[in-house]
Amino acid sequence: MKTIHLQYYILITLFSLFFSSSYAQISKAEIRATGLTCSMCSNAINKQLKSMPEVSAVTTDLNTNTFTVVLKAGNTLTPSAFKEKVEQAGFFIGSLVLTVSTESISQKPYIQVKPIAKNNKQVQIKVLDKGYVTEKEFKKVGKTYQNLPSLQKLNESDFHIIALN
Amino acid sequence: MQRIIVFLSIFLFQYSVAQELFLVTDPASNVPANSLGVNVLQSLFKETIKDGYNYHLMPEATYGLNRNLMFRASAFVSNRGKDLITEGGSFFAKYRFFSSDDLNSHFRLAAFGRYSFNNADIHQEQIDIMGHNTGFETGIVATKLIKKLAISSTVSFEKALDNQPNYPFPKELGNHATNYTLSFGKLIHPKTYTSFKQTNINFMVEFVGQTINENGKSFLDAVPVIQFIFNSQARVDLGYRQELLSSMQRSAPNGLYFNLYYTFFDLKSGKNVE
Repeated sequence: MKTIHLQYYILITLFSLFFSSSYAQISKAEIRATGLTCSMCSNAINKQLKSMPEVSAVTTDLNTNTFTVVLKAGNTLTPSAFKEKVEQAGFFIGSLVLTVSTESISQKPYIQVKPIAKNNKQVQIKVLDKGYVTEKEFKKVGKTYQNLPSLQKLNESDFHIIALN
Repeated sequence: MQRIIVFLSIFLFQYSVAQELFLVTDPASNVPANSLGVNVLQSLFKETIKDGYNYHLMPEATYGLNRNLMFRASAFVSNRGKDLITEGGSFFAKYRFFSSDDLNSHFRLAAFGRYSFNNADIHQEQIDIMGHNTGFETGIVATKLIKKLAISSTVSFEKALDNQPNYPFPKELGNHATNYTLSFGKLIHPKTYTSFKQTNINFMVEFVGQTINENGKSFLDAVPVIQFIFNSQARVDLGYRQELLSSMQRSAPNGLYFNLYYTFFDLKSGKNVE
């Protein structure tokens, strides 16, 4: 009986490990939006972000148009969810910094442009793809990482990331 | 037409001239996707041919279908007769086809089209499908936002048709025109944001012109506007329209605008957003 239980527990543990690492448990997203300076415009983004069921709180710095989005545990969001919402409000992402579990970013859809150390459980990453940085910054990123042809591909199936801390 | 836009835009960039929620023109930006804007525009213009004032009431609903496409429906009510009468309505669509955004700035281009119907008598040379003529208008709008200043310019073609059923467009008048607008808007309060609840004040000046293509008759008006935004959701605009130049006969060129606007954000999501 005990052995059955043990096997059962191992299975569950493996199963949950597999699932928790198959997507990047994003716990927080800091979004800087571009193309706006009015509070009504910021509010449009604020409302779009708050409409996501995975979101538990949004705080806004109206002077820098930075939205700090706290997410519920166990969400399966990828960076494209934030891009979608900001663009629906009529604006664009100028910078997207995510707090994610270090475990989860070593695999698809994430591509580390520089290897990210696994010292901490959580890490802050910045997404470098087109549409997640300003147009100017993307040009710079493209030059810096010329050896990464996948960076120039316009798709939402991979995200090029760099660690901030 | 695009050349004119490019030229105008280049010309405008020389100035450091924020806000683009204009009263008498539309910017290249649209309302947010899934949101509904509802407004009531009232105007009171002094009659030049007869005594009295011409009062117009224009309720409008604007819907953002997606990030690039929005629709608007308007109704025209006026006191041209003795009582307030609904004289017509209008459908409007705008498609944003170009955006180049940076931190605190953007440059955007959009194309738009409008069809209006109206049953009122035709009493002036000016073509105005926003409350006077049946007809259509199509054009391009370019908007540049630089920090707290927005500059927007429109060039459009407008054609008047018969005001069915009783008032055919007079044969002796030119029935199509070129319209051009140039609008400036600046955020004057607050200097620093503290919350969404804070009241914003924008000051705007809009220039609106028209040339009848057939005979070259033209007018140019200036519209200064003070705009209050409450709770980042409701808008009150107060404007005054003044004719600067005109070589055409107009029934009531000068007067006041009063506009109330409210945005319902994110209609589709079932989540209750405060």
